Amino acid sequence: MTRPERSTSVLPGTATPVLEVDDLHVEFRTRSGVVSAVNGVSYSLSEGQTLAILGESGSGKSVSAQAIMGILDSPPAVITGGGIHFEGRDLLTMSPEEQRRVRGPGISMIFQDALSSLNPVYSVGFQIGEMFRAHRGMSKRDAKKQAIELMDRVRIPAAASRVDDYPHQFSGGMRQRVMIAMAIALDPRVLIADEPTTALDVTVQAQVMDLLKDLQRDTGMGLILITHDLGVVNEVADDVAVMYAGRIVERGTVDDVFGNPAHPYTDGLMSSVPQVEAKGGRLLPIVGQPPNLAAIPSGCPFHPRCSRRRLGDAAAPGRECATDVPPLRLVAPAREAACHYSEEVLGV
Amino acid sequence: MGRYVARRLLLTIPVLIGASFLIFALVYALPGDPIRALGGDRPLSPAVVAQLRDEFNLNDPLVIQYVKYVGDLLQGDLGTDFRGRPVSETIARVLPVTIRLALVAIAFEVLIGLVAGVLAGIRRNSFFDNLVLVSSTLVVSIPILVLAFVSQFLFGLKLGWFPIAGTQEGLYSYLLPGLVLASGSLAYVARLTRTSLAENLRADYVRTARAKGLPGHTVVIRHTLRNSLIPVITFIGADIGTLMGGAIVTESVFNLPGIGREVYNAVRAQEGAVVVGIVTLLVFFYIFFNLVVDVLYAVLDPRIRYD
Repeated sequence: MTRPERSTSVLPGTATPVLEVDDLHVEFRTRSGVVSAVNGVSYSLSEGQTLAILGESGSGKSVSAQAIMGILDSPPAVITGGGIHFEGRDLLTMSPEEQRRVRGPGISMIFQDALSSLNPVYSVGFQIGEMFRAHRGMSKRDAKKQAIELMDRVRIPAAASRVDDYPHQFSGGMRQRVMIAMAIALDPRVLIADEPTTALDVTVQAQVMDLLKDLQRDTGMGLILITHDLGVVNEVADDVAVMYAGRIVERGTVDDVFGNPAHPYTDGLMSSVPQVEAKGGRLLPIVGQPPNLAAIPSGCPFHPRCSRRRLGDAAAPGRECATDVPPLRLVAPAREAACHYSEEVLGV
Repeated sequence: MGRYVARRLLLTIPVLIGASFLIFALVYALPGDPIRALGGDRPLSPAVVAQLRDEFNLNDPLVIQYVKYVGDLLQGDLGTDFRGRPVSETIARVLPVTIRLALVAIAFEVLIGLVAGVLAGIRRNSFFDNLVLVSSTLVVSIPILVLAFVSQFLFGLKLGWFPIAGTQEGLYSYLLPGLVLASGSLAYVARLTRTSLAENLRADYVRTARAKGLPGHTVVIRHTLRNSLIPVITFIGADIGTLMGGAIVTESVFNLPGIGREVYNAVRAQEGAVVVGIVTLLVFFYIFFNLVVDVLYAVLDPRIRYD
């Protein structure tokens, strides 16, 4: 599998970022205790770049996206620290009204389950048209015309005759196209796709991902792709950030990270995916359970599940897996990982 | 939709026949002789009793009585009570009172119940939400008889804000009884709206609406309220049917000559024609308002289609 070389990178200073997330912290304050969902996540996204955020359920990938969109359920969710800069302006210090005006024309988002994410009692044309009515003050009739154009653009067949249909009258793939039409309606600079293909058939998944890539090429928007599907990441993303327990544990270009992981967790993910070439071999699951976010393990949060952990190694002061938190650091050119022993994992 | 409505309306015919026969049989089964009771303390002469029993077909078996009643009904004759007053006139006299009372009660349910429910649902766990919770629980726990007498005493007699009883002051006379009658349902509507709204506010499509950058009021009114109102409208629709049946307690305490009081008196006097006429009409109202609710469903939720 060869991939075209891309010049973009997640590492700071290489391109003008359109979106910058800086040391973001999000907590859920519930009656049974505080759950730390996002613990100091930083990344940046440039125009035209596709950044995949990879992680298990509960790794904080969706929560950080919702924090960017300003649609966290709060309470119980609280952003306890960090900054989110869109085109140089900090979203977190904006007034709610200013934030609202960024959602749609600036940053928009599509969700995993298009059926429940679309309002069942309004036609799809109405729901797409709402973008133009709310943000551009367009009349109902003009908005409907725009909706038909958009439905054409996301390749929904017979758009003009389907514009008045309701979400339940569409197939899963077509519904996700409706969501995409809605999200790209106002030419956003950043599109966040939260598991956009998880609920779809494999053939439809490929069509939807192709559509997203084509739209991105046409508009030059930055794309954040949240997923746990390594195959999707490999096909469409330029860069990847792997999340674990609310932190980024590794990032770099997809080729680098997938070719030679620098973090034991990424390594474990790779080994747990079936490979055609390795047919007949055994899959190696990551042992243990994802961490409880209300009680994240001390030191490296991955250490209880890590096969390479070193405990009580007197020869490595400050690199004790059970007590010293490994910072996200440069481990190779354009590669960052949060492991005390990345060099060993990389095999350099 | 038109065919669905027509079919539902046709279905009411067997229901009405069955219901009227049941009511007829129940009145027939009541112990005692209604004709003898007409005389009160002074017994009627046996000849008069025999003549009246004959006139009202009371000597016939149940089925024959019913067939004769339906025969008259089909000619537009609802019959008369034992004093010779046509039942149709009685209905024309008491029905408007009940309709007014029911409308006032529904207005309170919608105005107060719905608004309180919406505000509480939007501001969950706020002071207002807790106020609605406490006051609705309080209202539901008080028997309507107590509520009726207390409010009559307090607002009618002591404060003099409302007429104490009767219908002399027009629609104004209906406000206090209407509020008392509505109280239970009003509390229920508030709770139902609050719960439904709070639940829908967490729906995925509401999150989408916020992600679209729609203004807050659009998110709440357009994308939350409409979906939340479906169960509330079902309840209110069914409640209209119930309220049309009159409210014996409220009508008695506030001395309103409505259907509830009329049916109560007719049952006591075993006035078969009056009871059957009015109650069958009420059954029809109930079926009709249920049909209206079902049609409204399809209007509110495009996923529901009847054809």
